[in-house]
Amino acid sequence: MSERLSVLLLDDEPIVGKRLGPALGKIGCDVEAFEDPKKALERIDQKNFDVVVTDIRMGEIDGMQVLDHVRTKSPRTRVILITGYAMMELAREAMEKGAFDFISKPFKANDLRQVIAKAARALGVSVDFENATIPSR
Amino acid sequence: MSIIIISSDSTEKGEEIAHKTAQALDYACLGRELLPVVADQYGIPTDKLEWALEASPPSWGRSAGLQRRCLAYIQTTTLGELVKDNRVCHGLAAHLYVVGISHALRVRILADPAEQAREISKRGSVPLEKARRLMDRQRKLRQRWSLTHYQLNETDPSQYDLVISLSQINTDEAIKIIVQTAGYRRFAPMTYSLRCMEDAELACRVRAGLLETFPNVKVRAEGGTVIVETKGTRQNKLKKAAAIKEQVQNMEGVDYVEVHVKNGLFKKAP
Repeated sequence: MSERLSVLLLDDEPIVGKRLGPALGKIGCDVEAFEDPKKALERIDQKNFDVVVTDIRMGEIDGMQVLDHVRTKSPRTRVILITGYAMMELAREAMEKGAFDFISKPFKANDLRQVIAKAARALGVSVDFENATIPSR
Repeated sequence: MSIIIISSDSTEKGEEIAHKTAQALDYACLGRELLPVVADQYGIPTDKLEWALEASPPSWGRSAGLQRRCLAYIQTTTLGELVKDNRVCHGLAAHLYVVGISHALRVRILADPAEQAREISKRGSVPLEKARRLMDRQRKLRQRWSLTHYQLNETDPSQYDLVISLSQINTDEAIKIIVQTAGYRRFAPMTYSLRCMEDAELACRVRAGLLETFPNVKVRAEGGTVIVETKGTRQNKLKKAAAIKEQVQNMEGVDYVEVHVKNGLFKKAP
């Protein structure tokens, strides 16, 4: 019997939530998508998510701040950072601060699916990824 | 899981530390033993490959082209091994082409100059003063070699994540430090860095495949998309682009090829 994985998805580009939200839903994730980092942080304060997927470069609050916040609030939560401005230094900094993974944009939905599956395994959550596929972007 | 690349001004010390580090981490160790594999794969004698890794860069002519090709072949085979992860690499100049990969720990080992001079003096039966001059000449050659082929000065400490001087720290301590540093989370592989590594391997493999026919190509890869840039005359642009495309599109790992042929001819290959 598989469990549902709770995922918070944060990206200031609405298209990301619109596309990835339903795609992750199909593989057994309960997804809450946010475009506003402040609202996302408020929600993180209310609920301990299994996985947080966040963009790095956003307005006032960036993904690294979200990472710090999540790590303080819920060390169990796996944080996956996504960015269109990936560089070695940033990637190393993210990992040092406790990110679970770091993905550069553009990526295929299946790339994220694999990372989410890895996070689920690390959390000991049994999610039925095998019987669901995400259509490519 | 990560990659450790060891560069040293002493071949023996670099090799010893690479082997012992690989042993301590239970990683595979890559070194000059890989050259016969490269030789088999590309039909180039092993001694030519060794020459390419050591010899002063010829400024022009067939030797320059041959050295460039040999290095591209070594680079391709080495990257093909490094994408498998859990590798310690030395003696294959990987510190000059595995750049910007966050899970690759780049280490420079500086031998004790006094000890090195004594060894050279003893081995070559030359006075200490001459041994020091030989060391200085070798250092300058390596600077020129690395700058010519990779536009990086391998003797510059800022190129590395970790620099260890064997004048102050002994070999066993150096290995412990490397093992410990490789365990830092910042050097852990991630989706992004693994993809960068795969892209580097694909770009290099494509370039190596083209070099004999098209000596002046620049290749980038992103996912399975390969972008080839070269120069040609106005008359042969289309023909050249079609020929490159045909050769590249069937290579393993290539999903899509884009070829840009600009007007003019390269003065110097990238």
